[in-house]
Amino acid sequence: MNEITVPPKPQKSPTKIVRNIGIGIGLLALYVWAFATIEIPWGRIFSERTIANFDRVIPKLFSPDFTFAEKVLNYMMETLFIAFTGSFMAAILAVPFGFFAASNINRNPFLNTMGKWILNADRTFPEILLALIFVVAIGPGAFAGVLAIAIHSVGMLGKLYSEVIESIDMHVVEAMEANGANKVQIFFYGIMPQVIPEFLSYAIYRFEIDVRASSILGIIGAGGIGTLLVISSRNRNWDEVGMILLVIIIFVSIIDYISTAIRKRIV
Amino acid sequence: MIEFKDLSLVYPNGTQGLKNVNVKINEGEFVVIVGLSGAGKSTFIRSINRMVTPTHGELLVDDENILKYKGNDLRKLRTKVGMIFQNYNLVKRSTVMKNVISGRLGHTGTLRSILNLYKKEDMALAYESLKRVNIEEKLYSRADQLSGGQQQRVSIARVLTQQPSVVLADEPVASLDPPTSHQVMKYLKKINREDNITTIVNLHFIDMAMEYADRIIGMRSGEIVFDGPASEVNEKTFEEIYGRPIKEDDIRGGKDDNEQTP
Repeated sequence: MNEITVPPKPQKSPTKIVRNIGIGIGLLALYVWAFATIEIPWGRIFSERTIANFDRVIPKLFSPDFTFAEKVLNYMMETLFIAFTGSFMAAILAVPFGFFAASNINRNPFLNTMGKWILNADRTFPEILLALIFVVAIGPGAFAGVLAIAIHSVGMLGKLYSEVIESIDMHVVEAMEANGANKVQIFFYGIMPQVIPEFLSYAIYRFEIDVRASSILGIIGAGGIGTLLVISSRNRNWDEVGMILLVIIIFVSIIDYISTAIRKRIV
Repeated sequence: MIEFKDLSLVYPNGTQGLKNVNVKINEGEFVVIVGLSGAGKSTFIRSINRMVTPTHGELLVDDENILKYKGNDLRKLRTKVGMIFQNYNLVKRSTVMKNVISGRLGHTGTLRSILNLYKKEDMALAYESLKRVNIEEKLYSRADQLSGGQQQRVSIARVLTQQPSVVLADEPVASLDPPTSHQVMKYLKKINREDNITTIVNLHFIDMAMEYADRIIGMRSGEIVFDGPASEVNEKTFEEIYGRPIKEDDIRGGKDDNEQTP
């Protein structure tokens, strides 16, 4: 039998080896520096008290207070509504932003870059910060949460939409131009059919994220289950906290499952 | 009638697409443009519906210089001049019917088309067009479920629905296998004969050009180097047009295994 030998690997150049070693040493130094400066109170972490606290808290978390369930479910529904309304608003608002930031539609390089920057800037505001602003501006409650979710989600959805639009088959658009269609007709016949399924898929995915996000917005008074979470934990009712966590975990898992199933069928 | 008068086109990057082209194409002719890739075939065809804009000279379609057309006039011209592409350019996620009716867009008001309120005659015309290329049973299938040859037939139906007086076909068979290529060419020839539609096709297969064309125009580096009836053409003519000996790739073949067409 013929022996087949694989050709030897190309030799790495010395400069590359030196560079890689340099990067390795640099990273190591960064870790050492980081851990050395934060002064971890090892003594306190492994003290008797911590262990006692764990003994008190953990078992309670795992024995949720089911009499509390109805109230938790009501707040969870509010959370879902906040997430749904917020992502619904974002899913629609993001469409014009998406087209504005898509380089194959908005051909003006300056306006196009501006569109991308607006979306980038929007994404740098965390929901919780936006919620804080809206709680102050329009008062505490679910609507503040809705606005925070909506505005934050526009940033991400707008960017994803613009990427979808940039990946469409422009030849179809060309074909429509070639048969005398006007711009509006091209939009509805050539572009929309190509992007709608992906838009929907991303909007549903965003809803999934928004459910998780809106469950903590209540901590600063923007409605939903976070309100309950903060009250129960302040009062150290760990069995109530356990119940809340259980409901959040169940709902988020169900929504993840459903959203994945739907998204698989859309695209 | 289409008339090129000393037409030249220089692309912004300096490439010369067309160089002093003078040619007259009569109504109802079936013209095949041959030439190697980069010879200016596409530029020639795309000038006629102004997908590209020549930079010098005049281009008359029905005795009007189309080079100064803008907006409405341009759209009206494009309704009159239908186009078929190498990659079919159908909306893959839309149904065959929706693709075919989109040939009507140029004749239909914006609001009407967005709301899908097509006239009964238009729907009938779309169905009739599908029937003429024998693909009416795929009416409600999604375009991406069809084979390449079927998609190209749908795109012919789309052009028919447009009721054009000129059809331009830019390498319509380059992505198809030999039997399907002949099928598509036969349909193009059929509508050319039945509706007296002026048809201009880009091809680089010499056997297909000789078989289907009334008239062959040869191009090399933006210039017309041959123009004459298909009957006067032989392999030697092609060698002159291409400027090199004929190769196997220049011939499509497969004519004999094709039996299912009109």
